Amino acid sequence: MPAEQVVQADGLRKSFGNRVALDGLSLRVPQGQLYGLAGPNGAGKTTLIRTLCGLLRPDAGEARLLGWRMPNSRVRSQLGYMPQEFAVYDDLTVLGNMAYFGSLYGLHRRQIRERARELLTLVDLSDRERQRVGTLSGGMRRRVSLAVALLHKPRLAFLDEPTAGVDPKLRRAFWDHFNQLSDQDVTLVVTTHLVEEALRCHVVGFLNAGKLLTQGTPEEILAETGAGNLDDAFIALQERGEGGS
Amino acid sequence: MTTLSIVRNVLYRIVHDLRTVALIVILPLFFVLLYGNSFTGSYSGLKLVVVNQDNGLASVRTEEVGRITIAVDLAASFIDALDTETFEVIEETDADAAATLVGQSGVRAAIVFPISFSNAVVNEAIRSSGARRVEYEEGTVTLLPGEAVEGQRTQLTLDDSNPLLAGALLASLEETFGRMLETQQSSLTAEELLNIAPLYDGEIRTLDFTAPGIIGFAMTLITVMLTAMAIVRERTSGTLTRILIAPVSAWQVTVGYTLAFTLIALFQAAELFSASVMLFHIRFVGNLGVVVLVVALFAVGLQGIATLISTVAKNEAQAMQFVLFLLIPSIMLSGVFWPLEAMPNAIRPLSYAMPLTYANTALRKVMLAGAGLGDVRFEMIVLAGIAFGTLLLSILSMRRQAITA
Repeated sequence: MPAEQVVQADGLRKSFGNRVALDGLSLRVPQGQLYGLAGPNGAGKTTLIRTLCGLLRPDAGEARLLGWRMPNSRVRSQLGYMPQEFAVYDDLTVLGNMAYFGSLYGLHRRQIRERARELLTLVDLSDRERQRVGTLSGGMRRRVSLAVALLHKPRLAFLDEPTAGVDPKLRRAFWDHFNQLSDQDVTLVVTTHLVEEALRCHVVGFLNAGKLLTQGTPEEILAETGAGNLDDAFIALQERGEGGS
Repeated sequence: MTTLSIVRNVLYRIVHDLRTVALIVILPLFFVLLYGNSFTGSYSGLKLVVVNQDNGLASVRTEEVGRITIAVDLAASFIDALDTETFEVIEETDADAAATLVGQSGVRAAIVFPISFSNAVVNEAIRSSGARRVEYEEGTVTLLPGEAVEGQRTQLTLDDSNPLLAGALLASLEETFGRMLETQQSSLTAEELLNIAPLYDGEIRTLDFTAPGIIGFAMTLITVMLTAMAIVRERTSGTLTRILIAPVSAWQVTVGYTLAFTLIALFQAAELFSASVMLFHIRFVGNLGVVVLVVALFAVGLQGIATLISTVAKNEAQAMQFVLFLLIPSIMLSGVFWPLEAMPNAIRPLSYAMPLTYANTALRKVMLAGAGLGDVRFEMIVLAGIAFGTLLLSILSMRRQAITA
């Protein structure tokens, strides 16, 4: 059952002890959209992504990806996930990591080599492909992690802070690539703290205390908050969230 | 002052992790309780086959009425005098059959009392201590010393595969004999009454006997630690999440890890066995193939346990502590140093829950006594069950591992 709405979440609720991480959250992301998840630290962005991917079971509500109710194993081959941790093997080389994770997606050695070449060019690590990941800097490791997440050409990818610790020039290249992917109908959900990144999203959702406070195009959010720029808009939203609940 | 803040920081962080606190508090107590309770120093339930062919009669010359026959039933009273706590007595009638039972299904020894046992002991007693008066019919008679009686010795077939246990069993038998001889005022000693046929001619040293268990323990220590740590590290670094979000099923992941670590465990086992045999000439008379099979089943079970530990441990330090919780009872309760027969009944169920108990028993049977596949069938089935059960649980809990938070 292919769906227009690639991400479809309804009334997601998730608590860790007393702390409510998701508070009846609903979300729709159509195919090919570049969706930015913004919000203060601890707003529930990572929990939302984990729940959507089926890594966490919600206490209530349901999540559907590509039309399938999660957790569902049929979605996994089309799903890309870049966790906040580096989540790569320090003791393997850059190529070694790609080869291993590629093999889990059933990619052949040749496909992996081709994809690795493309992606390593994108993340600007071509000259480091034989280097052990443990010897790379933090920003470089994150770039390896992004390359691994996109290796199998997912139709839908969740990227949790893909640009943290990445320098501005490369950050811009990443976002160019995200826009390119979305042009190819790949759906991306990306968490970010940075206004300039939020501006490049089709739709930005602003999360606070486990709730989706508002969502819309960057322009719509500016209009809604009456702020002069997105930074002010985000601060206004955050204050509104704190006052509200 | 700086040192003090470091001390405070370390303690604060430990004290605020409830699971670690629990482990820190419980572990030493657990250790002492296990140690104190598991080795009583006395044995119970030793299986002893008894063949009583003694007719119970003694024929003695008297001063007054010539040769008389008195019923003394010494073998029977000896059997009655055996400590029922220590021995589980099994009565048999056929001496040869009894001897072949030894070493099988837990039978530790077989003792055969010859037909003239009572006669021999009584006459020997009179011979050594001189004429004595006893009540006979309606009066008293004087028993006179006669010639030595042949064939007074009992035949003891002894399973000496466990030197500790064999020694304890022998001591207990001799003590019972001693008491019996005392009532007869005999100068005979227990040693003189016992003709011992050790199953292994006393060739099994304590080292041979403990080696299989220690190798099994070393395998537990090395492989469980390695596997549990490796999986916990993969979880905390996020790579396991990445694996589990890929189109790979939980059983593929679990079986993959189990296979890889089992191979390492087998390599380490090979190292342990060959070094033991080459450097210390550990007794190894059985079939290598059977040993490999036992070790492989044992190793898979250990991987399963390690994976389960990695599921409940939040971090590597905790994994380590959980491993200790497994190791301590393993070494104390699996019969590696002292046999299960030396443990109180209340503790024994714990022993039967330890994979090492079965690995140790099976390895001993094969390595020390040259047992074949059929003789260790039971142990193999239990080990296979443990391997299968823990693997199944690991598969079921594998998805949980994706949660790093």
